Amino acid sequence: MKPFRLHRRTMLRGMLGGSTVALGLPVLEAMLNGNGDAYANGDALPCRLVTWFFGNGCAVADVNDTGAGIRFAPAETGAGYSPTPQLQPLADAGVMEYCSVLSGFDIYAAAQHRRGHHDGVAGFFSGYPFIELPPNGANYASKFGGPSIDQVAAERLAGQTVIPSVELAISKRIVGGEGPTLQYLSHQGPDQPLAPFFDPREAWNKLFGNFTVPDDPDKPARLSALDAVREDVQRLQMRVGANDRMRLESHLDAVAQLRNQIDSLAPSCTLPPEATQTNDDVEGQEQLVAVNAVMSELLAIAFACDITRVGSIQFTGSVGYTVFDMLGLDRGHHDLTHDAAENEAVDQATIFTIGQFAVLLQALRDMPEGDGNVLDNSCILLGSDASAGLTHSVFDQPCIVAGGGGGSLVHPGVHYRSASGENTSDILLSCLQTVDPTATSAGGDLGLSTTPCSAILT
Amino acid sequence: MRRFGILGVIAALVAGCYSGTEASMTGALSAGSDGITATAGDGTDGDDGGDGDDPVPEDYDPAPVALRRLLSTQYVASVGLLLGDAAAAVADPPDDAAINGFTAVGAAQLALGSAEVDRYEASARDIAAAAVVEGTHLRYMDCLPGSPDDEPCMREFVGRFGRLAFRRSLDEDELGRYTAVGLTSATDFADFYAGVESSIAAMLQSPLFLYQVEVGEPDPDNDATRRLRGTELATRVSFFLTGSTPDAALLDAAEAGSLDDGQGLREAAFALLERDEARGALADFSEELLKLRELDGLPKDAATFPTYSPALAEAMREETRLFIQHVAFEGGDFSELFDADYTFVNNALAAHYQIPGDFGPEFVQVQLPPEQKRGGILGHASVLSVLAHVSSSSPTHRGKFVRESLLCTTIPAPPPGVSTDLPIGDGTETLRERLEQHMVDPSCAGCHALMDPIGFALESYDGVGAFRTTDNDKPIDDASELDGVSVSGAAELGAALGANEAAHACLVRNLYRHATGHIESPSELDVLSEVTAAYLGSGYDLPTALVEIVTSPAFRVVGQPL
Repeated sequence: MKPFRLHRRTMLRGMLGGSTVALGLPVLEAMLNGNGDAYANGDALPCRLVTWFFGNGCAVADVNDTGAGIRFAPAETGAGYSPTPQLQPLADAGVMEYCSVLSGFDIYAAAQHRRGHHDGVAGFFSGYPFIELPPNGANYASKFGGPSIDQVAAERLAGQTVIPSVELAISKRIVGGEGPTLQYLSHQGPDQPLAPFFDPREAWNKLFGNFTVPDDPDKPARLSALDAVREDVQRLQMRVGANDRMRLESHLDAVAQLRNQIDSLAPSCTLPPEATQTNDDVEGQEQLVAVNAVMSELLAIAFACDITRVGSIQFTGSVGYTVFDMLGLDRGHHDLTHDAAENEAVDQATIFTIGQFAVLLQALRDMPEGDGNVLDNSCILLGSDASAGLTHSVFDQPCIVAGGGGGSLVHPGVHYRSASGENTSDILLSCLQTVDPTATSAGGDLGLSTTPCSAILT
Repeated sequence: MRRFGILGVIAALVAGCYSGTEASMTGALSAGSDGITATAGDGTDGDDGGDGDDPVPEDYDPAPVALRRLLSTQYVASVGLLLGDAAAAVADPPDDAAINGFTAVGAAQLALGSAEVDRYEASARDIAAAAVVEGTHLRYMDCLPGSPDDEPCMREFVGRFGRLAFRRSLDEDELGRYTAVGLTSATDFADFYAGVESSIAAMLQSPLFLYQVEVGEPDPDNDATRRLRGTELATRVSFFLTGSTPDAALLDAAEAGSLDDGQGLREAAFALLERDEARGALADFSEELLKLRELDGLPKDAATFPTYSPALAEAMREETRLFIQHVAFEGGDFSELFDADYTFVNNALAAHYQIPGDFGPEFVQVQLPPEQKRGGILGHASVLSVLAHVSSSSPTHRGKFVRESLLCTTIPAPPPGVSTDLPIGDGTETLRERLEQHMVDPSCAGCHALMDPIGFALESYDGVGAFRTTDNDKPIDDASELDGVSVSGAAELGAALGANEAAHACLVRNLYRHATGHIESPSELDVLSEVTAAYLGSGYDLPTALVEIVTSPAFRVVGQPL
């Protein structure tokens, strides 16, 4: 575990006089080495990891031959591939050089093929088989079998930023009835799903608003309350079973995190103005584009300010019923993906969704850092919960790894098609290594990988 | 090699879906009646069930006990009881998460994360500030502080407020800790009541407030089980029956041992059911069971359903709440849930249901027009809207709901690797015709036969529950069947459910799941069959079912924690 980068904050301690100090650049030029690609003391610039999810997969290539694959990856492999219609939004946004497309992979964690969507999302993003919760005459439900890769990264980067990770969600049409697997994208463990922020104002508050000024009169009372709570939690831990002790350990971690944030100085960079964008429906319709734009911007600034280095964005939900009304569609997305007559509509939804993914990549690219930009020092993993909703197949799910990974990801990006149905956990391990090169495995059980996907690594 | 393995799994699961389908269906249906028959024929335990301790069966194997975070409704109601309406109005707990369809189950399994703890802190501070402005903190102190750091007075407040907030008396350690929080803040601000505010904010963040702490004590008769302590039992009963924290009188009774015997517990439960909060608590349970919370922000296509609006959705929700409360507490026959020939409407809903007459914004009881074949909750626009797509009905969703939520039969997963689509038609079919085509596919038919026919009986109600006679310009065919009984429309489907003991047993199971935060173990299911028998014997008197659950060993005796 590395120490805090106290030197960055101490520089500004004297300048903080009850309000946030605005600086020209998130990372001060003076703090960098001569090349602008590392800190002056030789420490590498921070690397970030983001998972980005959309539900229900893509359109099938041919509704009369569901074995013929999905509409997503290009025909050519290697660098300089031509974008398919589904990838064209990345080209249009000028970020395709940052994107590697990975096709032909299989989710080994889902090799038992127990349940559509659950297999896809839990297996892909954690690399562990999900845990089935026996319904015994109630509704089906499941939990992640292990931490999602973003939370593995957050754990490994613990202590380096004030906020370990931030979880964001755009569409509210989420299925809550089948347990944490479908409801949440980020999981610290089976019993520790992390609820995302749907409202940009709440996300802003978490990332930028929760810092207090040193002389905040409420601060001592807040801290002493949290200290009392901590003691209660610890005493309660002595009285309960092992399972509850572990749950209470999460509670303690969260209390400690809040205490740390209240007690930390505001970060040393230009904070964005308070977000005003809501995630309320307008005349029964979601504001997907507006919310996604603000969330993407907030995440980019949070990264630039090094408030956190890990994020997740659930754009649409697993089995989610987002209505893409801006495309003239009038049915929920999951419903559409199970109607072969709507394959073209599903395809339009995919193309729109990738366009929204491109918005995040643009926001990161447009945020300067050193001699490059924040996207150069980030790894963004895009995935879904099925190759196509129509088949529930976990073979060849759509996958993009974007960003420079601090120089560890190939640039320009490539299309790598696995000829042997390699394990998607290999991709997780590659992504994890961009933020922590010492990582040697990802996933577990059937999904365990100790072999990163070398095709996307430099 | 891999591919072959996957195909093998598919074959096994498809076969499992077929046999499992039949087996689980008959299994579930007969399980209820077997259980009831066994109880009726057994005759040893149930006879004195009306007024004594129901004995704990030998080899009783209850589910493990676990901490349960308060549900958001319970949190808000508890704040209201502790500190008044103004405080409750600013209470803003994090959202609940459901597991197996129940937020109570999620609350017993999932850990609190950073987002939740942040939210609880902000909520607690807002509540404390509102309470001190409102003066409701004064309920817990008779002393007049002589100075900002008046230690005895702060201790009195913390002890009295804390006992209600934590649902038991504080020990010396806890008293000292929260008194210190209050005194530190009182000194900082040179204001005793600022200290009170800080101590309230702190105690409302304590796990002793945020969780139903059920640890229990060893059972002298059985090493494998534990008995809830008096205050733990009072808490469980209070949250189940009133949706709120126990009041001082109930805690007094618990600490005096009044709930230790079946009769005392029974009397306490009936007393709680007399309170207004019991009506709200039942409505909250019903909203979860019937998925009515999804009405908040439920997307409906404006072109297909031009009359649908958030205001209409809210009226739908209110109709069902009023109806449930009526059949539970005024009608006396809760089986009318399934087939009552009346409901409650305001002007907006009367128009939606095409009920002639003059209606205002107030809800009134009306007879249902017979030609629409409505009856019971399956004819409610609320339920029909939630169990539908954005721009159409959904026989599959409706049938799945009846199987899972009303009959407690789990539907197997769709087999992997098969296309789960609706076949492409020529555009002239009704939804029923398209679904029936896809039931020709044997890999789908096994499971869809469990669901879709139930939904076909409700095809006269569109995606927002309005009556219709055509779909895609063709006449509706809503003649169908439920497990061999011919049904057409909500009233007949409901009557068929009401005639099925499994539906009543399932209601008891669902209440129990909500009350205890777990899906019943097989052993608990056996014990609950006695509750079902008592409920049936009472002529479907819901308060009887609720009290029988509370006094059942399944409620009072818990398993060792995991």
